[in-house]
Amino acid sequence: MPGDRARLLQRIISAVRAVAGMPDYQAYVAHLRRCHPERPVPSERLFYDEFVKRRYGDGPTRCC
Amino acid sequence: MLPKLAWLLVALAGAAAWGVLALHRGETVSAAWLVLAAVGTYLIGFRFYSRFLAEQVFGLNDRRATPAERLTNGRDFVPTTRWVLFGHHFAAIAGAGPLVGPVLAAQFGYLPGTIWIVFGVVFAGAVQDFIILFGSMRRDGKSLGQMAKEETGAVTGVLAMLAVLAIMVILLAVLALVVVNALKDSPWGVFAILCTIPIAVLMGFWMKVWRPGHTLEASAAGVVLLIASLIGGRYVAESATLAPLFTWSGLTLAYAVIGYGFVASVLPVWMLLCPRDYLSTFMKVGTILLLAFGILLVLPPLRMPAVTRFVDGTGPIFAGKLFPFVFITIACGAISGFHALVASGTTPKMLTRESDARLIGYGGMLMESFVAVMAMCAAALLDPGVYFAINAPLATLGGTAASAAEVIRGWGFTLTPEQITGLARAVGEQTLLGRAGGAPSLAVGMAHILSGAFGQSLMALWYHFAIMFEALFILTTVDTGTRVGRFMLQEVVGHLWEPLGRTSWYPSTILASAAVVAGWGYFLVQGVMDPLGGINSLWPLFGISNQLLAAVALCVGTTILIKGGKGRYAWVTLVPLAWVLLVTLTAGWQKVFADDPRLGFLAHAAVTADQIATGAMDPARGARLIFNDRLDAVLAITFMVVTVLVVAASAREWVLVLTRRKPATVKEAPFVETAYAG
Repeated sequence: MPGDRARLLQRIISAVRAVAGMPDYQAYVAHLRRCHPERPVPSERLFYDEFVKRRYGDGPTRCC
Repeated sequence: MLPKLAWLLVALAGAAAWGVLALHRGETVSAAWLVLAAVGTYLIGFRFYSRFLAEQVFGLNDRRATPAERLTNGRDFVPTTRWVLFGHHFAAIAGAGPLVGPVLAAQFGYLPGTIWIVFGVVFAGAVQDFIILFGSMRRDGKSLGQMAKEETGAVTGVLAMLAVLAIMVILLAVLALVVVNALKDSPWGVFAILCTIPIAVLMGFWMKVWRPGHTLEASAAGVVLLIASLIGGRYVAESATLAPLFTWSGLTLAYAVIGYGFVASVLPVWMLLCPRDYLSTFMKVGTILLLAFGILLVLPPLRMPAVTRFVDGTGPIFAGKLFPFVFITIACGAISGFHALVASGTTPKMLTRESDARLIGYGGMLMESFVAVMAMCAAALLDPGVYFAINAPLATLGGTAASAAEVIRGWGFTLTPEQITGLARAVGEQTLLGRAGGAPSLAVGMAHILSGAFGQSLMALWYHFAIMFEALFILTTVDTGTRVGRFMLQEVVGHLWEPLGRTSWYPSTILASAAVVAGWGYFLVQGVMDPLGGINSLWPLFGISNQLLAAVALCVGTTILIKGGKGRYAWVTLVPLAWVLLVTLTAGWQKVFADDPRLGFLAHAAVTADQIATGAMDPARGARLIFNDRLDAVLAITFMVVTVLVVAASAREWVLVLTRRKPATVKEAPFVETAYAG
């Protein structure tokens, strides 16, 4: 099934992203739609900017 | 019945492997025994001890909603599949530490370091990571500093902050020194590492400006360009016109790294720091998997003796006897206080179920310990003569292959000048002599393993691959560390004058970055110029400071247990705490007050003063050495005093609670039933 294969690829990609600590825009949009349908959905660029700011904003993220 | 039998077999196999390692007296022993002993012990430790911790001591409860579930926001609080989170956590805790420490500690032979790495992690390091992850998970993902403040009082909180800042300075200096020693006079390595900067900037623009959010795509392109620049480095090194341009001395490299750290701290994060972080994460995970695969495929014989004569404290790489210095030299891999910062950072906000903390906190640290075991294998497979030629300081070896071979034969190892020059040629370097710091000998070991697994002809390429991979993530630690140090400094001075605390105010950013860079840069430059090799004084200081942070974390862990009414189990953190204190304080004391001038800072200062008096030492240079010795001594004493203060403050709290003069209440977030299906 091509649909299954595409889904599997999607899952692998999102796992690799999560391991590297990369943001997942699709998941965030899904979360907003589900939990806060009244809030505006930010553009991918805005989302990425805020993500980077939060991630490196405070505290160490990496060890020696 | 069958599972019980299987676990018995695992236990017996592990015990048998330890027996072979301990009793073997001969030419060489296969790395297979080392791997088997370690993995057998990890499996038993994970199956039985971590289960005891999870169920009896912490009482992990899958009916209790985690912060990721209760506070889910799609950004940092995200319920994550446990194997994915395991990978994320491992990528965050593993770095250069577990690779460099074991290589240096191989000076004592492979056995003492391996025993400490394996048993240290099961009873101390993994327990620390697990309990801090547990504590932070029950407190909405609070940081170590916040937990210290809330559970043991403001004084401990401030001391923990100061400890982190001091550790950062020493950590960055010593890691930068490792990079400098690996890259000096190596045009191939310098070219490849310099290329990582434009590659990262390109990725930064790709992810932010051209194709926002396409992080994976940009990273893939980055990795390809990185490999290309590695291959290109060979042509640079062989070109008569280009090679001199990229042949840098230690001091030039030191100033370059300092400049880089400053620029990376001041530039917007998206431009340099964030893309480098991704690049180094992928390279790190990929290379570690490659190394594990290579070791299992090749199973190299270990040529290093199990125990060398240098356990008596006369070792050329760093001074000091087996006890306590093997426990200081190997911090990351056995127990690393720094992990407490990561375990109370992003990971606790991503746990889906409470019970996942066992695999991620305890299991993640076991995995890092395995990286340390692999590093030990890579160092121990080298001929001991070659290992010491690479790692001993140049001042001890003399400048030539002939003089080095002479000195090393005097130590009782076999080495011919042709061996060391031939090896340098094989890996595409002018010389490998006196490259203290662990990275080059690890790279030679890795090159042996990987070329053994994937083809002999690529030795030089694998060597520089290993060098680039280490330098890449050390420099990533340097830039993120400088930035974190800058934030902490801005927070502190912000109390004195408010505008200095504004992280977005440019003058404040420049000043604070410059101050942090100057802090570690000073130690780096002095380390490069140190006649004993820099690593001799800086690495023990780093080990001591990292273990000090571990002591702080274990104190917080003990407080959590005692206040949570689990006082009868407090030994799970108190025993490792007592051990860490014993080794840290003994090592610190010896580094300051020992009579041997190679070991004791003050004794070295006294000898230098005598040399100035007799005219054997240039007065200006001598004065600088004496100042550094005293500075190092003050630093070591400060670390020890802070440790003792934190332990005392915590112990007071424990006694108050245990004698019922203070209520046994923890500041956990209230219980909320999970909505997930059981």
